[in-house]
Amino acid sequence: MGSTVEASLAILNGYLGDYLTRTGNGLATGMTFVTKVRNGRTVRLDRASLERAYPAASRRVAVLIHGLMCTEGIWEMRDGSDYGALLERDLGMTPIYVRYNTGLPFAENGASFCRALEALLANYPVPIEEIVLVGHSMGGLVIRSASHVASLQGFRWLRLVRRAIYVGTPHLGAPLERVGRAVTKLLRAVPDPYTRLIADISDLRSAGIKDLGNGLRDPHHPVPLLPEIQHYLVAGSLSDDPWMATLFGDALVPVPSATDGHVDPRRDLIPPRHVRLMSGLGHLTLAHHSDLYPSIRSWCEERQS
Amino acid sequence: MTTATVKRLRGLAALLGDAMEHGIAAVERLHKGTAARPFAILEWIPPTALPTRVVRVVHDGVSSVVYGIILQGGRLMRKTVSVAFDAAERVAVGTREDDELS
Repeated sequence: MGSTVEASLAILNGYLGDYLTRTGNGLATGMTFVTKVRNGRTVRLDRASLERAYPAASRRVAVLIHGLMCTEGIWEMRDGSDYGALLERDLGMTPIYVRYNTGLPFAENGASFCRALEALLANYPVPIEEIVLVGHSMGGLVIRSASHVASLQGFRWLRLVRRAIYVGTPHLGAPLERVGRAVTKLLRAVPDPYTRLIADISDLRSAGIKDLGNGLRDPHHPVPLLPEIQHYLVAGSLSDDPWMATLFGDALVPVPSATDGHVDPRRDLIPPRHVRLMSGLGHLTLAHHSDLYPSIRSWCEERQS
Repeated sequence: MTTATVKRLRGLAALLGDAMEHGIAAVERLHKGTAARPFAILEWIPPTALPTRVVRVVHDGVSSVVYGIILQGGRLMRKTVSVAFDAAERVAVGTREDDELS
């Protein structure tokens, strides 16, 4: 029941989250850290709460952040495990799951995430040696935004991040939102009260959804991939056909967007071994597919140059 | 009932109230926009122009009053619900669900 309520609130926040926050509505989700994907507890970022929540805290931490309209439940596989729990089992990392209001702009969530990681670093029960960031869909953009804020403002946690894994993240935007934007504009231009009503309803969608249209390619506000971090990109594709993969990808994010344009061999900013294309997988499935875990594990084991 | 539950229920009531207010405003715009079409045609024909203008003013005025009454009724209901939540909040107990970071 609890997870159904949280899942419903996540959908509501994804669609109207900025409005809920702006109006001080009690249904707005704040950013919280959660201990487990199922029946997890939210954790305050003070020393005592963190000690209670993580009695066997590891010096290596994996922070997993979900995408639009989701909760930490999106990471759960059919057998009940998840990438974080498997990293804990295999590599002794402590998984921490983030829940947040996906209707807010990336920049706002990025800044909140940045502050939360700094508080985690300050109050974690043992000294942290490494933070691995794993983001699904919009979560990856929040990671980039938080890293950008941290690099500009000198937050300490950034020095501990050596790798960031982006799973189905629309770095270059999601075409579906751009199509929605164009259709809404068209409907509004028609001098008819019914089409304008549809345009009004469509325009209610949150700032978070609208941000997804362009991803992080706004030339006025560049959010570059930081060179001090190893970046790992996962793209899904429903079809093996290269054209279909380029156009539709995992149904929501085309492959060039999920790989930030790095599938082009002429651009060698990210080594090919850091990019994984998952054929036959849809956008949401990428967050909890056992075939992807071996790659995540090997990336986490990779020695840093 | 916990404070977190009351907070969410209050939020749900507020959201339904917002939806009702925006919905009423949207229906009013739709109603007047739809009615404006035949009025515009009839106002364009010289013999019917003057009576149509009178009917239009009466129609738009009555519509605004009716929608306004519905809106005020809704706001009264919201205030009543809000008072009920204030009472519920006084007897509610705190939970760890409030552990938000920001």
